[in-house]
Amino acid sequence: MIKIENLHKQFGKLEVLKGITTTIKEGEVVAIIGPSGSGKSTFLRCINLLEKPTNGRIFIGEQDITDKKTNIMKVRQNVGMVFQHFHLFPHKSVLENLTYAPMKVKGQSKQEAEKIGLGLLAKVGLSSKANEYPGRLSGGQKQRVAIARALAMQPEVMLFDEPTSALDPEMVKEVLDVMKSLAHTGMTMAIVTHEMGFAREVADRVLFLDGGVLVEDAPPSEFFSNPTSDRAKDFLQKML
Amino acid sequence: MNLDFTSILPSLPYILRGIGVTLQIVALAGLLGFLLGIILSLFKISSIKVLGWLADAYTSIFRGTPLVLQLMIIYFGSPQIFGYQIEPYVAAVLAFGLNSAAYISEIIRAGILAVDKGQSEAAMALGVPYRKMMLNIILPQALKNILPALMNEFITLTKESAIVTTIGVMDIMRRAYQVGADKFRFFEPLLLAGLIYYLMVITLTILGKVVERRMRRGD
Repeated sequence: MIKIENLHKQFGKLEVLKGITTTIKEGEVVAIIGPSGSGKSTFLRCINLLEKPTNGRIFIGEQDITDKKTNIMKVRQNVGMVFQHFHLFPHKSVLENLTYAPMKVKGQSKQEAEKIGLGLLAKVGLSSKANEYPGRLSGGQKQRVAIARALAMQPEVMLFDEPTSALDPEMVKEVLDVMKSLAHTGMTMAIVTHEMGFAREVADRVLFLDGGVLVEDAPPSEFFSNPTSDRAKDFLQKML
Repeated sequence: MNLDFTSILPSLPYILRGIGVTLQIVALAGLLGFLLGIILSLFKISSIKVLGWLADAYTSIFRGTPLVLQLMIIYFGSPQIFGYQIEPYVAAVLAFGLNSAAYISEIIRAGILAVDKGQSEAAMALGVPYRKMMLNIILPQALKNILPALMNEFITLTKESAIVTTIGVMDIMRRAYQVGADKFRFFEPLLLAGLIYYLMVITLTILGKVVERRMRRGD
């Protein structure tokens, strides 16, 4: 469970997040949507402390990750992240991308890490690419590897930062399918996305951010058919 | 132009023995410069400002004064610095190593900064500690990009090593000069020395290309 209390983030004078409070329950899939510049990505990146909150607290389980005494590295091992631009390690093979962190960070044996890695590659449908280098993969394949890489650490929470925004349209589905099946396994997921169809179908809840403020927090059935705020109505009109 | 190599031919093996001396100095100094260069470059990008200042001051001094001066200060100053007279050979390795570290640190710093920021973010998001991230993720990618520049530095080092002659190291240059003085013919042995240096640099260049090609296999 992730509990976010009054989260503020400022870059210099620019206030990007203006006090966000919400809770993500275990096994819940939350879609975070909103216009660009609304603070969605910053919000997500605060959850694994890639951005340091200026104010407010974030609990993952019982642990206050904004507490100075918290070991950030330990927190991050437990929170997987998938980026818009994949960020695979280009000098490592696909399988090495998956085994690197489990071996170097968790101390898994090579054998164990490779077994888990190959299992994950099978799940994302890329067993045949284990020994390829990322440079040889298509965007959709890269993103599926990136998801597998994050899962290799066996995290409790997965964060997705616009995972399909950098993909060619015909590759979006293969990535969304992987995410969908992941959601069905009961993984706790927070997804920043512009895929309204996906949010509607897969998410348990939609968070609508605008100007650094959490404007709506509702199940997708409610949010998409009866948005309460004008800003959400306006946004949906432009998107759908 | 009357070239006559026959008179210096008997001295050829003597000059060639200098290759080993030159290579040894260059290899050791290159290694020292590379390792120290990595450390200095990490200082320069460190969030601890004092380390950055130290590394910048180091680079400024070693880049801002002549190499031959540094060599002589280390060699002739060694009784006052270390308390005893060091071998010319050791002074040469130290001077060249410390000097090239200044240049190499700048090359590596640029290489590190050129690696996509997403790489360190991806490593951080996986909980990889800073040291391992640098060693396994960032530096290998940085080195691949700066290989041509590094090769340049090693080539410069090879050629510049000829100034160890000034403190009496028996390298190619000094041997060629001695043969010249001995036979009263400087032109031929010096030409020969030039050829040897040139062939060494060509070998280095080819070596660099091979390494570069191997590192680019993943692309």
